[in-house]
Amino acid sequence: MVLQTLLLIGLVLSSVLAILFKDLLRSAIALAAASLLLGIIFFRMDAPYAGVFEISVVAGLITVLFMLTIALTKGGEAAESKAVAIAFPAFFVAFVVIDVLVMRKLLQKIPALAGPAETGTFGQFLWTSRTFDLVGQIAVIFAGVFAVLALFRKGKDKDE
Amino acid sequence: MNNVWFVYMFFVAVLLFTGVYCLLTMRNLIKLFIGIEVVSKGVSLAFIATGLAKKSLLAAQSLVVTYIVVEVSLVATALALIINIYRKTKSLDIRQLAKLKG
Repeated sequence: MVLQTLLLIGLVLSSVLAILFKDLLRSAIALAAASLLLGIIFFRMDAPYAGVFEISVVAGLITVLFMLTIALTKGGEAAESKAVAIAFPAFFVAFVVIDVLVMRKLLQKIPALAGPAETGTFGQFLWTSRTFDLVGQIAVIFAGVFAVLALFRKGKDKDE
Repeated sequence: MNNVWFVYMFFVAVLLFTGVYCLLTMRNLIKLFIGIEVVSKGVSLAFIATGLAKKSLLAAQSLVVTYIVVEVSLVATALALIINIYRKTKSLDIRQLAKLKG
């Protein structure tokens, strides 16, 4: 659990860096590092499929998309208010203290509801119990593709 | 629920706070989207931690996989929107959008 806690602290730190870095490229790389750490945490929690998706898709594909967008929108950076970065540590520490107090208070208070025991492999579960999710995923992917196509469609008036 | 679940929930809450703080205070559109990504990491962690605590990891994993697929579509569409906004306004400042008139 010690290593897991260190990984979780690393995840929080890289997420904080991702929002505090002024350079957007550094922010995107810090976000990729956070995804990588989250993937490792998933592997250590015996969830290899979620870990593989997190590392390959979120740390890989989404980071590439972010970098492309940053490259395509160079020069348009909006200056952040300086008070945001200065005030963040105070708010963060205050939230962590409240979080610790609430979690200590809640400890052992929330009952665990018994669920049915799971059997079989991940593939069997996905294909038998969550078949409808797969149909939804395909629909979402198509919706995303058509949305991007519609957004980058070139009007005929502009070409002429 | 066991004590380990509360440790995970503590970190989930910190991640959610970080993302929401970014969403409430930042002005850059890409930064705001990075805030949404941080929140989504917290949500994924909450799914898997709860699945681990309730011994239903297969269900939790299948939900996270679905969630990641939805997230990718969302990111692709939102970044395409951000590029279009940049082409129109030559800026990534969220305040510029309030000035747009149809």
